[in-house]
Amino acid sequence: MNLIGVSINHRTASVELRESLKLSTEEIVKLINSLKQSLLKEGLIISTCNRTEIIGITVSESVTFDSLISELLNLKSVDGISSESFEKFKSFSVIEHIFRLVTGIDSMLIGDNQIFKQVKESFQISDENNFIGFYLKKIMDFSLRIGKRAITETAISEGAVTVSFAAVQLIEKIFANLSKKSVLVIGTGETGEIAAKHLRDRGVVRLALTNRTFEKAEKLAKELNTAVFPFDNFKEHLHKFDIIVSATGSQDFILSKSDIEKTMKKRNYESLVIVDIAVPRDIDPDCRNLENVFYNDIDSLNIIVEQNLSKRRNEIPKVEKIIKEELNGFTEWLNSLQVSPIIKALREKFEAIRSEEVQNNINRFSNEDKEKLEIVTKKIINKILHNPTIELKKFANDESTQDLIRIKLSVIQEIFGINTVKEQEKFEA
Amino acid sequence: MISTIHTLNILIPIFYFITFIVYLYDFQREDKNLSNSKRLFLFITLCTHLLYIILRTIEFDHPPITNVFEIFTLLAFSVSFAYFVLELVTDIRGTGMFIIIISIAFQTVSSIFIKDLSFVREELRNNLLGTHVFSALLGYAGITISAVYGFLFLMLYNQLKQNKFGLLFDRLPNLEILEKLCFYSAVIGFILLTIAIIIGVIWLPQSNLNFSYTDPKLLGTLLIWIIYGLGILRKIYGNLRGRKLVIVSIVGFILTISSTILSNFLAKSFHSFY
Repeated sequence: MNLIGVSINHRTASVELRESLKLSTEEIVKLINSLKQSLLKEGLIISTCNRTEIIGITVSESVTFDSLISELLNLKSVDGISSESFEKFKSFSVIEHIFRLVTGIDSMLIGDNQIFKQVKESFQISDENNFIGFYLKKIMDFSLRIGKRAITETAISEGAVTVSFAAVQLIEKIFANLSKKSVLVIGTGETGEIAAKHLRDRGVVRLALTNRTFEKAEKLAKELNTAVFPFDNFKEHLHKFDIIVSATGSQDFILSKSDIEKTMKKRNYESLVIVDIAVPRDIDPDCRNLENVFYNDIDSLNIIVEQNLSKRRNEIPKVEKIIKEELNGFTEWLNSLQVSPIIKALREKFEAIRSEEVQNNINRFSNEDKEKLEIVTKKIINKILHNPTIELKKFANDESTQDLIRIKLSVIQEIFGINTVKEQEKFEA
Repeated sequence: MISTIHTLNILIPIFYFITFIVYLYDFQREDKNLSNSKRLFLFITLCTHLLYIILRTIEFDHPPITNVFEIFTLLAFSVSFAYFVLELVTDIRGTGMFIIIISIAFQTVSSIFIKDLSFVREELRNNLLGTHVFSALLGYAGITISAVYGFLFLMLYNQLKQNKFGLLFDRLPNLEILEKLCFYSAVIGFILLTIAIIIGVIWLPQSNLNFSYTDPKLLGTLLIWIIYGLGILRKIYGNLRGRKLVIVSIVGFILTISSTILSNFLAKSFHSFY
């Protein structure tokens, strides 16, 4: 099995290059078809905003890393990309790389569990296009199990590691149920839009928007099915909201401390969370001194992000331990492939001898004894083969070198006159 | 039986301490395996404590309500039992160590100073007195738990205000839940205290010759009752919420402790039975 892989990722190329190589599902299918023709017997293509990878078993030894890279660049030509923009993996390091990938420890955002879903989808696309064979099927099973183990057995994916997630984590430390709270998003630029969509996803029902350009707010409001206020008079409605998220491009404060003071009075001093993710800030930070006002700007949210990232980094050794365990399991399975066809061939050979001898002598027995003869002879064969089968299975987990195992197996094949080439082919099919 | 009682008297604070350690460990590590088993530790401790209370009642022929150290053991039990019920009902598991430490304090003092009293004044064997004391103790347990949640609210509130996102930020429930726990514990404490006061006011003048409406314990309890009553009314009908609400709860608790200490150790009260 000649397993190779190439990967363009955050370690090897700029975000522009990575983005420009991102493949759509149609492009992945197209690439699979061209790779199948002359380069790979089976394979996997992973393509996200942050990485594009081709992994597979080559049809011959002559297929190189550059062959795969050329095929990719033939499909999607991008200026500035060369062979140096790719990481290259061979043999066992490919498997280790996939295992690290699915757990998220290889991601730019450590513990990003999106990658697990993306790898799973990539396997599915390969499978649907008959690009997954005997070996990659097993690698897929191991990968999916490792991904799940990393999520359930460690805290590698826990805690918010983006500003918008951190804002929600913070709000959830103040309010019990977001679906019962009302939120106003001021500014519907890219940041405001992400925040609004994220809050909607987290179950916020009463969401309202306001923006200097009313039409822009109206457009997003339609998309998210929310209320929209004209920017000129949004302050009159402030007291109706439990959470205010501000992300405008204003150079000055759009809400002063006295605005918030008035709002709190109208709110009967019920808790108010202010998330000011604008740079420069939109809301006077002095309002954090007001009773029951929780003011947070981008710096405080970044503290949460940093803390969570640090916690995730501390989980890496636990994830690596899982990877090591599973790699051992995979090696055992791989080694068992060498002995399984021999065991099967040995059993078939003995069964053939038994069956032939029984057939030759069956007429010497009465009808009653014929059935007993079958049972007894089968028992004898099973007993004879019991110990050799166990010993052969031990070879799979033998710590001797592969060469030594191969010699031992060939001696057995020689002694019993068995040919496993056909068996191996049948087994892999 | 007496040797069993003495053994349990030593074991119970140790059991509470072990339970506290398990809760503390889980609070720091958030071990998924400990999440359920720590509740089992508390359950075993409470069962052992209940057995101890029953054995004392049978052996000494009176409920353990005749002096402050007997009451302390009941208070330790009531506080942890009330928390146990609260944890089962709300499934909020991260705050146990802050409550159990109160039980450790009460039980340790009780275990050190408690005496084997076989002869007590006849009125202390009265069932109505038992109801009066039990409702008062459960009321105090409610007030204590309310104060603990109030204290946790204040700690988290200050951390959030100062943008400190440490262990408390990670492990404690959110402010809204802490405020609710604080308020509802206080309401339950207030209702039970009301029952205790009603029984006391009806029954005590008939049974106790030294009864006086100017008794310091009675006045102290009345003051606490009024504070909690006003606090609850202002929460329901006014704008008492958040930090101010929990401060009222904490002040009420401090007054409760002060009143107990004053009436039992310093002032002369008909509530002192020993």
